[in-house]
Amino acid sequence: MRFVLFLILACAVHASAQVGEKITVSGYIKDEANGETLIGATVYVKETATGGITNEYGFYSITLPSASYTLHYSYVGYASITKSLVLNKNERVDIELNGDTEQLQEVVIQAEIEQANVQNTEMSTNKLDIGTIQRLPAFLGEADLIKSIQLLPGVSTVGEGASGYNVRGGSVGQNLILLDEAPVYNSSHLLGFFSVFNPDAVKDVKLYKGAIPARYGGRLSSLLDVRMKEGNSKRLEVTGGIGTIFSRLAIEAPLIKNKASFIIAARRSYIDILARPFVKLLQDGGALNFYDITLKANYNINPKNRVYLSGFFGRDNFKFDRSQGFNWGNATATLRWNHIFNDRLFSNFTGVYSDYDYNLRFGLTEKDAFTWKSSISNFIFKPQFTYFINSNNEVNFGAEAIYYTFKPADAGGVNNGKPVDFSLERKNNLETSVYISNAQKLSPVISVDYGIRYSLFNSFGPGKVYTYNDTVPGFRKRVIGERTYNSGESIASYGNIEPRASFKIQANPTTAIKGSYTRMVQYLHLISNTTASNPLDLWNPSSTNIKPQLADQYTLGYFKDIGSRQQFELSVEGYWKTTDNQVDYIDGANLLINEFLEGDLLSGKGRAYGVETYLQKKSGRLTGWVSYTLARTELKVDGINKNNWYPTRFDQTHNLKVVGFYELNKRWSVSANFVYTSGTPATFPTSRYVSEDILIPYNPNESRGNVNLPDYHRLDVSFRLEGKKQRRGKDRKHSDYWVFGVYNLYARQNPFSIYFSQKDSRVPQGQPISSQATQLAIIGTIIPSVSYNFKF
Amino acid sequence: MKFTKIFFISILACLLAACELNINPDLENADRVLVVNGWITNRPGNQTIVLTKTQPYFEKSLPPTVAGATVTVSDDKGGVFNFSEDPTKKGNYVWKPTANELFGTIGNSYKLSIQSEGEIFESFAKMGRVPGIDSITLKKNDPDKLNPDFYIAQQWATDIPGKGDFYWVRAVKNGQRLNKPAEINIAADAGFAPESTIDGITFLPNVREGISPFDKDANGTALSPYLPGDSVYVEIHSITLAAFNHLQQVSIQTNRPGGFAELFATPLSNVSSNIRNVNPSGKKVVGFFNVAAVSGLGKRFPKK
Repeated sequence: MRFVLFLILACAVHASAQVGEKITVSGYIKDEANGETLIGATVYVKETATGGITNEYGFYSITLPSASYTLHYSYVGYASITKSLVLNKNERVDIELNGDTEQLQEVVIQAEIEQANVQNTEMSTNKLDIGTIQRLPAFLGEADLIKSIQLLPGVSTVGEGASGYNVRGGSVGQNLILLDEAPVYNSSHLLGFFSVFNPDAVKDVKLYKGAIPARYGGRLSSLLDVRMKEGNSKRLEVTGGIGTIFSRLAIEAPLIKNKASFIIAARRSYIDILARPFVKLLQDGGALNFYDITLKANYNINPKNRVYLSGFFGRDNFKFDRSQGFNWGNATATLRWNHIFNDRLFSNFTGVYSDYDYNLRFGLTEKDAFTWKSSISNFIFKPQFTYFINSNNEVNFGAEAIYYTFKPADAGGVNNGKPVDFSLERKNNLETSVYISNAQKLSPVISVDYGIRYSLFNSFGPGKVYTYNDTVPGFRKRVIGERTYNSGESIASYGNIEPRASFKIQANPTTAIKGSYTRMVQYLHLISNTTASNPLDLWNPSSTNIKPQLADQYTLGYFKDIGSRQQFELSVEGYWKTTDNQVDYIDGANLLINEFLEGDLLSGKGRAYGVETYLQKKSGRLTGWVSYTLARTELKVDGINKNNWYPTRFDQTHNLKVVGFYELNKRWSVSANFVYTSGTPATFPTSRYVSEDILIPYNPNESRGNVNLPDYHRLDVSFRLEGKKQRRGKDRKHSDYWVFGVYNLYARQNPFSIYFSQKDSRVPQGQPISSQATQLAIIGTIIPSVSYNFKF
Repeated sequence: MKFTKIFFISILACLLAACELNINPDLENADRVLVVNGWITNRPGNQTIVLTKTQPYFEKSLPPTVAGATVTVSDDKGGVFNFSEDPTKKGNYVWKPTANELFGTIGNSYKLSIQSEGEIFESFAKMGRVPGIDSITLKKNDPDKLNPDFYIAQQWATDIPGKGDFYWVRAVKNGQRLNKPAEINIAADAGFAPESTIDGITFLPNVREGISPFDKDANGTALSPYLPGDSVYVEIHSITLAAFNHLQQVSIQTNRPGGFAELFATPLSNVSSNIRNVNPSGKKVVGFFNVAAVSGLGKRFPKK
């Protein structure tokens, strides 16, 4: 480990020593209209044919020999700016780009097209800007971040209504979702129908599926990096909308012009308010609502220091009467401090608090009442540094410490007038890591990015730890011993080295070949054995009985820009991923409020491989993309499927997505997306038998995933009508638009599952029982929607 | 956690409507396998063990019976109980008591041996203890609860102190056995999980109320589980831990209400069996053997 660190540093230092007198130009790139920093904007130096890209905070730094230069600043959808500079001392150049589409239309012709696709070492990532997300046809018209990323290559879902998403054969719990660096443990409202991210408060979304930078860790499959808007630093802006499900309002304004600003955005479902006069339950103390509040403030203390405070609070709330019901939600708070040590050393210090909890209350009578609370909460401290050594080397290094508290169940109440307690012990864990990586340009043709992360996971007391017997795989393990640990005593400790490496070969200015190797380690396990993850699913830390999950992923890709103005972007990527210590469950596992949960878990290995093809058209009246993934994902767990490989529930051989946006005229535009995926695996019985009047399905072959459901396909269309720009010859102060959408246009009943059961009627003893197979479509019809959105 | 599932489903049902369709998929072929239905008790009268074969899943007929087998139960005190084939009901193997003899003794262990088609199958079960039922009550829902007009019946019994007791609560309403998959009502001590610490107290509400059937009429309207004037007969059977796990799996695999509950369904898998072929590479067998001590209480709720 120490050796590798040394090696990386040595390479970087060597690189920096090579060059003579160097001068640095650095600064922030922002949106001219509202002062928002732009993530991933490019700076291109014409004379040296090199450049840089702004980081997550909109900062860039380029080091060059002293001379005269032409710098070209650009960002997708914005008019680029060219600046001539005579560099003889370090310069701070903050740039504001204009993204006004009205003005842009005239400029766009000559605007240079982004070439990040081929000029960047980065691969296996997809970026979605919020404008695209808002234009996609959405279920019930609610622009949805999580549903939008499901239209990207390599991303799949088990079906409508399922929360989360699956990336390159990973389970839902293997995705790290960061909202302004704070982990979000449950990204869904109303189970999985809507996601918790308010589109009015989101600036930028980036999905990493492979080649994950060394500064990130903690989950096997993917990282979804969601960055919130900072808030308009130039003027008061109010956006909002009334949709089918949510009403939204966001207010952003400068606190001190160009120095400090804030945004507060809130959404609430309002079906209960509309239904209240008609539904007695809602008048009697029942409730059915979900809401979220997102806020953020930032302050530019001086050109070298900037602080951000952001928070999120979301909750789903259901009550069946005054005393019974449940609710769940996330709360996060992030405090960040960007400090520029010097023109070449950028730093960020982040402190995070994040919590996910759920509460259930059952009060049958005064003598019988139960409550059950469960939560995962954590504190994170994360110092991160970027050292822009020269135009050929960029070193990232830093550390992270996460302190977790798991409360699997604080449960109890009164049973027949007597107190009962089901509570389980809390668990305390600390995950620490350090990382260093260097992005190095070896020659104009070859660039590499190599790094290493070392993570250490500790589980410590107080706590009771059980040892289990080795039974026949697939059966509940029995406790054969226990040990109690004192407060602070170490129970289990795991350390892992996570190497990361990628390369790019620039075959010509529009073609690149890229490859990568990534090792990821995951110390938290989402315990869920149902088709879709549900809000009561628990996160369980690694322990003496559950080992950390490991994944090794290799990728190789071909990247090409096509067209006279490079308006097409093509990528073909293959990946091969193997995983270890994957969690599965015995049949009939009891996952909730189970002190001996670990006795019901199985461990196995996985493999996932596939090819992702992505063709995007980035400019013109018609834009959009076609994404096709050919993939396979399997698990091998002792005790399941006769110990043979079996496909996971979200394995999809073919996964095709076509997304198009077309501007009909100045006011009308149309968006459409078409999804076609192979049916996911299902397990069908072959036989039946009757025991004590109950018909039991049986499969003597003991197979899992032995049949595929019928294919899934769906077309959604939406029309957007921009409000008039002028009224009675005068410019309107505010802008607005309507969205008319249709989800599942041809009303296909896409099967979510096929299940087998005996027919409902109660069977008289000794009579034959009839069996049935039922195909279920969660959304079996066409769903129209309309929403009105405004901004002033 | 049946109640949490019900919660989720009702939320979704409020907002959306799923869409279901009966289909006839082709299923793999499979060999027929011996099925042992060996739930015997200390109830007065004959005890029957039924041997049948599995059928193709969609075969709507009584299962094929297995004749010509030798079925014996023996206990750890040297007792042997012969189950002889009933000449009138094929596949039924019956033990007939002499005079007022009851089958089995609480605390004894029993071994089931079956010789059939040249193979030997066996199983073991211990007869557990069972508490008596103190009373059965009927209560109208509180006015501020969901379905205020519903009447819920509860059986009141107290788990025997000491961990490791498992029970199956079975009910008959107006002469009809409540035998839907959703009505499997089992308890681990006083609670719902073998690992829970809830011991030696009154059964938790879900077990007490588990004798209340939730049915719908032809229009799909939910019906009150009981009405004044209805009768109910409740039995508590002592079962083994293996039987508890088995019934829990049966409930998971067979209680498929469909709709949004499918979001939270677990993969279809075979339920466990405590019967094994003495020859591990011999023919497969499914089914269960349990020797239960039974307590019972009946009640007719007075008309208003």
